[in-house]
Amino acid sequence: MAKDLTAPRPLARSVSEIEGQLGKLWARAAVARAEAAKAEVALVAAQAEAAARAAASLAAAGETIDAAAHHVAARTSVLNLVVLAGDSRTAERCAATITATASRHASRSLILSAQDTGGAAGIEARIEALSLTTADGRAETGAETIYVTARGETGNHLASIIVPLLVHDLPVAMWMPNDPPFGTHRADRLLPIADRLIVDGSDWSGDGLDLLDKLAVVAEERRLVVADWALLRQSRWREAMASMYDLPDLRPHLGAVRRIDVDYAAAAPGDPGWTTNVVRPLYHVAWLASRLGMTVVAPLSRAERGRRLATLRQRDHAVEVVLRPVSSDLGPGSTARVEITSRLRGAELIGRVAADDRTVNVSVYDDGRERIRRSYAAPRLSDVDLLARAVEEGASDPVAVGALAMAHRLLGVDSGSHKAGSNGQARQNAGRPLEDRGNG
Amino acid sequence: MSPPRAPSAPPPARTARQLREAATAARRRARSDADVNPLRQGLRLERVPDPCAFVLFGATGDLAHRKVVPAIYQLWRTNLLPAEFSLVAVARRPYSSEAFAAELRASLEKYSRVQPIDEASWSELAKRITYQQLDFSDDAGFDRLVEALDRLDAKCGTAGNRLFYLATQPSQVTEIVRQIGRVGLDHEVRGAGWRRVIVEKPFGRDFESARHLNHEVNKVFRESQVYRIDHYLGKETVRNLLVFRFGNGIFEPVWNRSFVDHVQITVAESIGVENRGAFYEETGASRDILQNHLLQLMTLVAMEPPSSFQADALRDQKLQVLRAIAAPDAEHVRRNVVRGQYGPGWVQGEPAPGYREEPEVDPESETETYVAGRFEIDDWRWSGVPFYLRAGKRLPKRATEIAIQFKETPLRLFRESAGDPTPNVLAMRIQPDEGIMLRFAAKVPGLGLDVRTVNMDFAYDTSFVVDSPDAYETLILDALLGDASLFTRSDEVEAAWAVVTPIINAWSEMQAPHFPNYAAGSWGPEPADELMERDGRRWRRI
Repeated sequence: MAKDLTAPRPLARSVSEIEGQLGKLWARAAVARAEAAKAEVALVAAQAEAAARAAASLAAAGETIDAAAHHVAARTSVLNLVVLAGDSRTAERCAATITATASRHASRSLILSAQDTGGAAGIEARIEALSLTTADGRAETGAETIYVTARGETGNHLASIIVPLLVHDLPVAMWMPNDPPFGTHRADRLLPIADRLIVDGSDWSGDGLDLLDKLAVVAEERRLVVADWALLRQSRWREAMASMYDLPDLRPHLGAVRRIDVDYAAAAPGDPGWTTNVVRPLYHVAWLASRLGMTVVAPLSRAERGRRLATLRQRDHAVEVVLRPVSSDLGPGSTARVEITSRLRGAELIGRVAADDRTVNVSVYDDGRERIRRSYAAPRLSDVDLLARAVEEGASDPVAVGALAMAHRLLGVDSGSHKAGSNGQARQNAGRPLEDRGNG
Repeated sequence: MSPPRAPSAPPPARTARQLREAATAARRRARSDADVNPLRQGLRLERVPDPCAFVLFGATGDLAHRKVVPAIYQLWRTNLLPAEFSLVAVARRPYSSEAFAAELRASLEKYSRVQPIDEASWSELAKRITYQQLDFSDDAGFDRLVEALDRLDAKCGTAGNRLFYLATQPSQVTEIVRQIGRVGLDHEVRGAGWRRVIVEKPFGRDFESARHLNHEVNKVFRESQVYRIDHYLGKETVRNLLVFRFGNGIFEPVWNRSFVDHVQITVAESIGVENRGAFYEETGASRDILQNHLLQLMTLVAMEPPSSFQADALRDQKLQVLRAIAAPDAEHVRRNVVRGQYGPGWVQGEPAPGYREEPEVDPESETETYVAGRFEIDDWRWSGVPFYLRAGKRLPKRATEIAIQFKETPLRLFRESAGDPTPNVLAMRIQPDEGIMLRFAAKVPGLGLDVRTVNMDFAYDTSFVVDSPDAYETLILDALLGDASLFTRSDEVEAAWAVVTPIINAWSEMQAPHFPNYAAGSWGPEPADELMERDGRRWRRI
């Protein structure tokens, strides 16, 4: 539980004013800590007294402790979280998520937004100090959230505001809730500050693949740890898909996958403008391919009826990939179903996973005979869950790295095959039988 | 200079023997590949266990209501149990399933760590609870249990998987296990479900009885099916001890006899025996705490790094520590182990009765409520480093702590200082206020060169403001997933008893001290302090 214990304070208009306000805030906390310590001494002394006197002293000590408990005792030391919110509405949304997450991952949060880009340069900053309480109500730790609005030219120099306000020696997570400005000077100055980049690929404009391509490049070139909510959201799907092969006799089928079908909710029937964000469906394929040792033969290409096709290779056989837009009540770009078809020694195994808001359903058919049918209670992750998970891991997650790199390869490393009609080879391959396609 | 040789594949096989070995290695590799589900790698969610029936023997008892069922509810509430889950409550008293579920619901109000109870979750779980009245010696009752479980497989999809939890009196364990064996509920058939059993401590009351119990249990279940639960090992901070030791590079180099002066492990309780007087009369501090909690903590502090965190790799290393503790003879016990029993006193501002005045306790009882001892581990790492262990009831506060005291600096450079810097201490608080403290010397601000000892204190709450799962939640989930790393293996149990049984035997042949020998609310009997003073040391003030 987190609440703002600080009185409203004036807007700060420079980094030094922000630092000044933070200094006063923590000086008060130090006083509160000293008061609490004195109260504790009184408590110990009281225990040594005779019973009658002890009762009175304890009551007095208790009052002092209660008074001190209204103050923040110590700042948490977990991480700096920098949010490039862009606009005030996004800033508010992110702030609400951070506040709800603070009890798990308390930090100094800097939420930056830009306004009036053509006006006079300057900043306005507001500080909130949060007291984070444990379930039993103790006021244990504190964290700050600093809201910075940059105006005019200052908006192009956010790095100069961020760096002095970071708590030293703590990692920096940079959250870009909108389309990240990859490839711009702004990004070039901001990204070196970050140890971890938090994005949501499923929220990107268009089909999202152009930014996914750039994300993979940024991650590799800058050795940046990336937490993409689009991939994190799929953890319940991955759990379900993995469970299909827990039975030892089904596990060999993981080496004999022939086809991966992913159905996703289209923005419009057939997705005629190719505008549905397909980052999540693509991640399913990328994760499976990277875990199962597949290579890309023909990268993703567009086909009729809004489908996107690719060909992978596993050991000595081809794996057909189909991303298919379907009509669904789910939000556009959400995965409706994943189906994995494998063939081993003449036997065909089909594993299907589908999900709704609360459950994931798994079914497996072995040569048409149902082998597994299970339902997992696995609710869709909220923004609070996603942010908590995004910052939870201290180091790079090799599975996520592998999935992102494979997504990059599926998009076609050199040609940007995801752009409309740009990959002739992929287009040519799309209509041919799989076994006829080249090795690429 | 010859060019460096690149690491390469093994040389080609030339002989029939080499061919055979290469083929065997290839088969092993293939088998190992097939054993691993590559899609499981890196999954951050806890794996949801297989469908199963959780058969709770002793379901009407205190342990079931206080710990086991609240843990199951919490696992269910957080979606960590499969939809195809069924709780089969087994006990002697007559109940309908509905009435028993209602009783569990009332217990959750008292004992669930998360309140209020989530009605939607509970109602879903309640649908999966059935009650089976059963006298543990009744053959026909167990036959009916088999039928009931088979029906559940068909109705609820529990797929033949069974976890038996024996939350019963220790004396009933062998009978229940025998009955389970008699009706074939222990049999694992490939593809037709797994069978596991959780046995609660105490695991015997001395070496012989522990060995007998293990023998009886292993007559029915294979060792890999047996999960001996010591809830201490499921505590978050105990598990963190492994992370602290083996996840940080800076401590391991000094974690040995070259740098460590001694180790103190304390398990202090401020409460008395509460309503467990009869139980405690039979156990005492040595059986209740020393044989399991204290020795388990000692093994975690002293063990060599395991090759992996697989159950047997971890338990092999713990076993090595226990086997390296020399079994104490009578003279060693007389000199190095102290027992105590509390008399009346004051604890935390409240008057407390003496042990002999507690309900169900013999007024002439010679049961120890306190034990302290000096132990040595005869291995390369720890030779000559004493481990001081103490545990007691009615001590001034509840505190469990492991303290590593390092050796003094070889040269006292700051002898002119007003105060001597004390040796470095690394203290790991297990409960309460979980955290880690490092004590070191610092210069007092000013013109002189005064040195004072200061503490660098890390509290878990300041970095993780989140409730830890209860130990039972961790351990039950692990058992459902088939992960035995936090459970005690039979040879571990026997090795621990091999340390404690000679102490108990020696005491039985010695004249008992004049009990009570410490006041409730004090830090234990004087001989415990003398034990430390004799070595030029003293117990930490916690």
